[in-house]
Amino acid sequence: MAATIVIVDDEPDILDLLKLILTEKTPHKILTTTDPRQALEWCQSQKADVLISDLRMPELEGIELLKIIQQIDPNLPIILITAYGTIESAVEAMRHKAFDYIAKPFRKEQILLTIDKALKWRQEQLGG
Amino acid sequence: MKLLDFFKRKKVPPAKIGEETFKRKYQSFKNLLDANNAALEVMARLETIAEGDFVFDLQYIRTKTGLILEKCKEVIDELNVLTGNRYAGLVPVFEAVKTQIQNEVAPRSPQAEGAWTIPLSQVDRRLLWEVGSKNANLGEIRNRLHLPTPDGFVLTAEAYRQVLAENNLRADLAGFFQEAAPGNLDELAEKSRARRDLLLQAKIPARLLEEVKQLYDELSATLGYQPRLALRSSGLYEDQQFSFAGQFLTKLNVSLSQFFPSYLEVLASQFSPACLVYLAQKGLSHREMAMSVGCLAMVPARASGVLFTEDPTGSQEGRMVIHAAWGLGPTVVEGALNPDCYILAKGREITLLEQRISLKPVRLTAAADAEGLHQEPVPDREQKQPALAREEILLLGRYGVQLEEYFGSPQDIEFAVPAKGQVVILQSRPLIQSRPEAFPAPPVSDQPLLLDRGTVACFGVAAGPAYVITRDEDLVHFPEGAVLVARHTSAHYGLVLPRAAAMVVDIGSATSHLAILAREFKVPALVDTEIATQVIKTGQEITVDANNQRVYLGRAEALLRGQAQKPPLLSEMPVYQTLRRVLRWITPLNLTDPKLSDFNPEACKTLHDIIRFGHQMAIAEMFSLGEKADQEEAYMVRLKTPLPLNLYLIDLGGGIQRNRREPYVTPDAITSLPMRALWKGITHPKVSWAGPVAMNAKGLYSVFSRSLAAPSSQQSEFWLRTLAIVSKNYLNFSSRLGYHFATVDAYVSEVRTDNYISFRFKGGAADEYRRALRARFLGQVLKELDFEVEVTGDLVVARLARYPQQLMEEKLDLLGRLMACARQKDMVMSDEKVMEWYTRAFLEGNYGFEGEPR
Repeated sequence: MAATIVIVDDEPDILDLLKLILTEKTPHKILTTTDPRQALEWCQSQKADVLISDLRMPELEGIELLKIIQQIDPNLPIILITAYGTIESAVEAMRHKAFDYIAKPFRKEQILLTIDKALKWRQEQLGG
Repeated sequence: MKLLDFFKRKKVPPAKIGEETFKRKYQSFKNLLDANNAALEVMARLETIAEGDFVFDLQYIRTKTGLILEKCKEVIDELNVLTGNRYAGLVPVFEAVKTQIQNEVAPRSPQAEGAWTIPLSQVDRRLLWEVGSKNANLGEIRNRLHLPTPDGFVLTAEAYRQVLAENNLRADLAGFFQEAAPGNLDELAEKSRARRDLLLQAKIPARLLEEVKQLYDELSATLGYQPRLALRSSGLYEDQQFSFAGQFLTKLNVSLSQFFPSYLEVLASQFSPACLVYLAQKGLSHREMAMSVGCLAMVPARASGVLFTEDPTGSQEGRMVIHAAWGLGPTVVEGALNPDCYILAKGREITLLEQRISLKPVRLTAAADAEGLHQEPVPDREQKQPALAREEILLLGRYGVQLEEYFGSPQDIEFAVPAKGQVVILQSRPLIQSRPEAFPAPPVSDQPLLLDRGTVACFGVAAGPAYVITRDEDLVHFPEGAVLVARHTSAHYGLVLPRAAAMVVDIGSATSHLAILAREFKVPALVDTEIATQVIKTGQEITVDANNQRVYLGRAEALLRGQAQKPPLLSEMPVYQTLRRVLRWITPLNLTDPKLSDFNPEACKTLHDIIRFGHQMAIAEMFSLGEKADQEEAYMVRLKTPLPLNLYLIDLGGGIQRNRREPYVTPDAITSLPMRALWKGITHPKVSWAGPVAMNAKGLYSVFSRSLAAPSSQQSEFWLRTLAIVSKNYLNFSSRLGYHFATVDAYVSEVRTDNYISFRFKGGAADEYRRALRARFLGQVLKELDFEVEVTGDLVVARLARYPQQLMEEKLDLLGRLMACARQKDMVMSDEKVMEWYTRAFLEGNYGFEGEPR
């Protein structure tokens, strides 16, 4: 089943790499942006199934984005991307009910696996 | 440091004179080893990541290269403490490499941030993100290499942003890049036209008007006349990551009155459909495509052209290729006529090997009384004359070598020769090469041959329906997977190149922009075929065999096998390219043999060289400390053993029986607990130390080719000295056996919480794959022996701690056996199965590896 995945990161490198990987390896619709507000808008208007967000973004912190999403759609799994060695932030993210986190640098299989798990979780939440 | 604590706590018997100095030096040595290990570990990690399966960003590269630089500096500092500043010469070498690395990962430069304009005399690569790669390189050429370039100034990326801001265009344009759908050319063309029009009518901020006026006046004052300008685009990612060859506009012969309309035209050129397709194809849709523009005084060129410092079609190694024609440059790079071709040998002496002079009936000139360029006929007698004089060709060759060395890779250089005066460099960027894929082959017999001539622009074989382009409008209907057939190599055709299966062109050179793009997109391409548009008709199914310069009617299936189009690779993305460029200054090892005369600081080209040099000199220093010591203070003795180990011991206290005063000791004098245990394993009766390992031809070839790759390595000092620094409970054992390097650092006592073994192993003589297999063999065995193991490439790091004394001794014994057995085993590790076999054999105690697979 093709799902819709929204990705937001202030680093264009990460967006380019993820888009390339996910377009090649999955049937999903991939929307990418450096603007957290755009991501938020897409999550609603495009009926996103998974949101992948950077933890640290200059315009809106990942945790803040997480809190907003929690209120709008608590069943939307959010995968946070953290920088290597920022384990405290990852713990904080999980405390705020992120679905999972993944530390840079990561292998492409890792993100594919995490997305699969997130999609299954969402289906369960929606009673599918 | 943990080790010194041991000494304090364990009450090493106080030695007499020199002990304090020795301890201090030993501490430096130990710090150096730690820094060396830390640096090698990060290097191995970056190499693994560069292979192409990871997601990471520029920040990661910055952090990790920063760490390697820090550790490398520590190695240098500790070495200088150890040797009384004998290697101060390493510091400038290190600083030079550091600058190169920092240039590659340059963050925004604080002093230039916010600048809208900068004179060329102040531009270099530190301003990369303000002025774009093309301008930054030109600045380096002018201000660091001091080669002749035109004078001028730069409008920065910030100036572009300010133009957008002034006209409220920023948000609109950012969104446009996201929406642009490369598949629908009609729609794309229409949308891009609308955006271009917006930009072309933009209002220029007053500050920019003023700054340009002032810079132009200064330039006029310097030159003594009011020059016409060449406005050259310099995109932030152009050349740096991708060529964008010919995709952005260059405006030549611009007067001051036409400056801003021309500037806007250059900016708007990034909204051409060709550019948008290029961006999407390269997966660059998230980039801020801010553009800087270089404004250079026009060179009234008598002749101009391009110089490639390697043959772009890769068919001849060590050859430089120059294409030149009369007048201004576009004639050559646009492929409008066949230019002269000069081939140079690139060696200590640059020599002209060959010149092919073409008929050059027209030239472009800059009209003094009008904007733009003017095409005029060349007088008859000059048409067949060489465009370049011999001295000019050789001078260009020397510039080429200089630029290639400076920028660290083969270059693609544009130049002009003024009517009066010497050659001037207009730009230099990395050369994209295409390599031959197959050996020349006879024509296949089952398909009619349409043509068998031309020059290779990009190697490869592909088939598809032919599509002959006669007008630019034809491009809109170019079918996916068709073969582009055209009269000229116009850069406009770049628009459809990503969708083309192959390309065949009547006139044009392998150095034209379109040829560069063909190589970048790996589209098999032939140029200069003269007759392609006459013999090929639109709609015909044809096969282009660029490898052999042939075109067949129909699909030549025999040639097409194994030529499937590959999707874009992760490893070709910008961040990977940056990582590889950075690693060029970090990982290659040029210093291999300490016995050679070029084993000195000046010969260090990379951080790996510096670390290797520092490490080797530190070990040498530790030896000489031992040698210099008074007999009464004899810290160092040689171990008497029939094994080819050349092993020296330095005793920190209680490691060797003290009543002996010979220049050597026998193994039974060793009282160091960890050394005794390790030695027991190394000399295990079933472990063989005799002779080289038996290997098959492939293994031997793998060693041979590696030795060739590192020409300075010699077999003469195959068994270098091994150093063991010991005390009653401590051992630091460093050996370089052949091409690999192993260290054991261990502490063994009755207090089990103090006990540890740390083992590291790196290198080998065989190729990368075999070395990695041996590393995995070691890793698997060590895991079975309860070590915590990390294997990265050919690096093995293993640790074990807090076992009781007896178990620690057993583990060291087994480690000794393993080190002996792993010797040269990289050469026999031909595949996974063999590696698994050796692992089992070792664990079963078959140390002689009887019945080993062949």
